[in-house]
This record gives sequence, structure tokens and C-alpha cells, in this order.
Amino acid sequence: MTGIYNPYSLSGKTILVTGAGSGIGRATAIEASKMGARIIMVDINEAGLLETKSMLENQEQDHLYYIVDLCDEEAIDMMVKEIPVVDGCSNNAGITKLTPIQFITPEEMERIHKVNLIAPMMLTKYLLKRKKLARPSSIVFTASAGGVFVASPGNAVYATSKCGVDGYMRTAALELASKGIRCNSVNPGMVETPLINRGQVTAEQHEKDKENYPLGRYGKPEDVALATIYLLSDASSWMTGTALKIDGGLTLK
Amino acid sequence: MMNNPFSLQGKTILITGAAGGIGSETARIVVELGAKVILTDIREEPLSLVLNSLAPSSEGEHLAIVADLTNEEDVDRLVAACPSVDGLVCNAGVMKLTPVPFITDAELTRIQKINLNAPILLTRSLLKKKKVKKGGSIVFTASAAGVYRVSIGNGIYATTKCGIDAFMRTVALELGPKGIRCNSVNPGMVETALIGSFTEEQKEKEKLNYPLRRFAKPEDIAYGIAYLLSDASSFVTGTALKIDGGMTLG
Repeated sequence: MTGIYNPYSLSGKTILVTGAGSGIGRATAIEASKMGARIIMVDINEAGLLETKSMLENQEQDHLYYIVDLCDEEAIDMMVKEIPVVDGCSNNAGITKLTPIQFITPEEMERIHKVNLIAPMMLTKYLLKRKKLARPSSIVFTASAGGVFVASPGNAVYATSKCGVDGYMRTAALELASKGIRCNSVNPGMVETPLINRGQVTAEQHEKDKENYPLGRYGKPEDVALATIYLLSDASSWMTGTALKIDGGLTLK
Repeated sequence: MMNNPFSLQGKTILITGAAGGIGSETARIVVELGAKVILTDIREEPLSLVLNSLAPSSEGEHLAIVADLTNEEDVDRLVAACPSVDGLVCNAGVMKLTPVPFITDAELTRIQKINLNAPILLTRSLLKKKKVKKGGSIVFTASAAGVYRVSIGNGIYATTKCGIDAFMRTVALELGPKGIRCNSVNPGMVETALIGSFTEEQKEKEKLNYPLRRFAKPEDIAYGIAYLLSDASSFVTGTALKIDGGMTLG
């Protein structure tokens, strides 16, 4: 092999990655930079963002970063105004908290829905309004197997936010196809990220839960990042409106 | 780009229906990504044309084996001649539009044998003879038809593709613990000989159902197959990958 042929290359593309300060967002930024892209990173966490920036490849690409609270619509608009036109956007920023349905409060629900659902919708809106999406371009949403393909106890708020993302992704795919803008999602099962280690679930419970995965393990952030890269690349130029399940077989039974 | 996670360097991949549109394009692309291929098809001459068009492999000669996959002896012969593989692409398929009142037992049996029974039996034989390596990946060319949408006159084809969908998920479940993954690509309309029976006018009208306003090129599907064969998808199993230009959205 020549080492040059790569239909999944992102060379020459500028890719916006939210939630780039940790987990799947960080892995996506790193892998996309390895595939030749110039990266624009967004996160609320400055320290994480700077760490990610130092981990990117092709530093001569002049990768950019923005510290933004994506729950603040004005802050989104200000950032979008500043950034160059992008060829792809990977929406990763997300939060989760297990809450049995008797204990759901409007405040908690609003907090999670704002980050997981409303923020990517608003970001897409301003990218369109400010004509910052190239034609063609590709938007990828990090949704979840949770909600879209499988339910689990205590996960109602998160699941509803991700089903919202699924509905939005398909609607945006339909509305934006004529502009050459594709929209798809990646739908991971459990992934080894800081999100799953917030003290609500013990390591022992995680080990037991892995038995539900025919492949016998949780996902790695790179598993999701590489699917995202496929969807950002021209190799997927006939794909729009697809939810790409990456779950180690969790939802089969 | 030397450590391309989508690389197929060092992998051996068996492709059925390799003389057809999606099959031949898949062969070309996986070879470009570094794989050695074993091609099979029932059509001898087009198969050797595909074989001869491929870039050479550093892993040894590519092979072409003519076989009728609905014939058990041919399947046995193919499996015996086949080295252990890292990837299997079950791609051979036929299509014929028949309104429900005109379905005959003979036609139904013929299409199901090619589209459904043959890939099931080939997968079985390869697994039985331990010819799929640990870490291997099986990919079926299913369809958006049947699995996501139905269309008039397409009952038989849709039925076979739904069968593939269920088989794919069962294989994924059974073989996950052995480290073998199984997935499908589910295309909408692709510009191949399979849709030759449509008139130009019918095709233009049909394209209006696709938000991206075109049919697929074989490579659009082949890139999905190559992704599923590569280690970039090592946590993906039991997934039906819809590649349909947005056709099933509205």
C-alpha cells in the first residue's frame, strides 16, 4: 500500500468539535487532526481544552480553541461570528446523571436538556445563519444507544435528550440536504470516559454491566471518534439521516 | 497517514458477487486499503476482468474462484480453497420486481436461495471450518428495502433482505464473545446493473425521493463496507448501516 490512499481523510477540511476538553470530544479532535483536519475546539473547561490542544497532530494547521458555555446562546453566536467556515461539526458536549423518575425535577431536566439537546440545535442554527457551514459539509451528533435503541433504569432524562437529538438530526438531514449539508449521528453504548465515573456507579457494577456486551467490553472514545471521522469524510457523501450504532452488540438481545 | 486506522493492511477478505457493481468496487477499494482479496462470482469472465484490474498485494496473490453459491458442492469447494480470512463480504444478490398476485413459488425460491440461503450457508461453512479469524469482520449487503422501507412490487427482495438483517444480528450475538463482528450495509438505490430494468424516466422520478437528489455510486456503499471491515469499527457489531441518501427520512 502506498500509505497515501485514504478515502476517510479529512485533509483540507476544518472541523469544529464541541466537548473537546475530554472523552469522546477529545478523541475526535485528536483523531481528526491525525486525518489531516484543522480543528476548532470548543469546551467550557479551559484546562481540558488546552490539554487536548497539546495532544493534536499537525500543529502547523493553526488549530483554534474557544472556551464557551454552550448553554449561553449569545456566547454561541459570538463564537460562530469569529470562526472560519467549517467543513464539519462534531457535537459532543454532553452530560448525564442517573435519576429515577420519581425524583426528576424540572431544574435537573432543563440543565441536562440544555447541554445535550438545545446547545447542538442552537449551534447548528448559528452556523447556518452566519453561513459558516461549507457546501458540502457534514454535521455529526453524538447521540446514544441509550434512549434511541435501548432504555435503562434511571436514565430517563438523558435518554429523552438523546432521542431529541435523534429527531433533530433526521429533521436537519431532510431540511439541509438540498444545501449539500449532511447530518448523521453516532450512537454509542457505554464508553470509557469521565462521564461514566462520577461516583454514581461502582467499578464492580461496571464490570457486571460489561457482561451485557457481546464483545465483552465498553467502547473506547476512539471507537466513537473513528465513526465520526467516517461520517465527516467524503467516504460517507451519500449518507444523511443515519444513526450509526456503536454498541458492542449491547442492543441485540 | 501511515497509521491509518481505516487501513486493511495485512487482512485477507473474501467477497461474493465480486463481478457486480458494489462487489467489484469493494474489491478495488479494500485492495487500495492494503487487503488481499479472494473474489467469487458465478460469472467467470467478468470475475477475471475484476481480478486483473486489481492492484497487486504485498500479502500474496489475489484469488478468483468461480462458484454458484446456491450449489452446496460449489460452496464446499470455495471454502476448501479459501485461506483463513479476516473479513467476509456477502454481497451477491439478485432483484426482480413482481407484484404480489404474480409471485410464484419458483421465483420466490430462486431469489431467496441467492439472496438469503447462500450467504447463510457460506457463513456457516466458513465458521464451521474455522476460516474466519478471531477479530474478523463479516459484512452483509442488505438493503434499505424491507429493513427500512417497502416499495411496490418489491415483496420478494424485501423479504430476503429482512432475513439477512435478522441473520446478521443473530451472528453478531453468537460470535461476539469469539471476537468476530457482524454488520450490514443497507443501501438505497445504487447505480448498478441490478436496477437496469428501470427506464431513465423512472429513474429520474425516483431520484426525487432522495433528499441528496442522486442514487448511490457503488463506492458510496463500498466505503461503508470497508469501514466495517477495518479495525476502526472494532466496537461495532450487530449494526445495520443505512446508506440511502436520506431516502427513508420523509
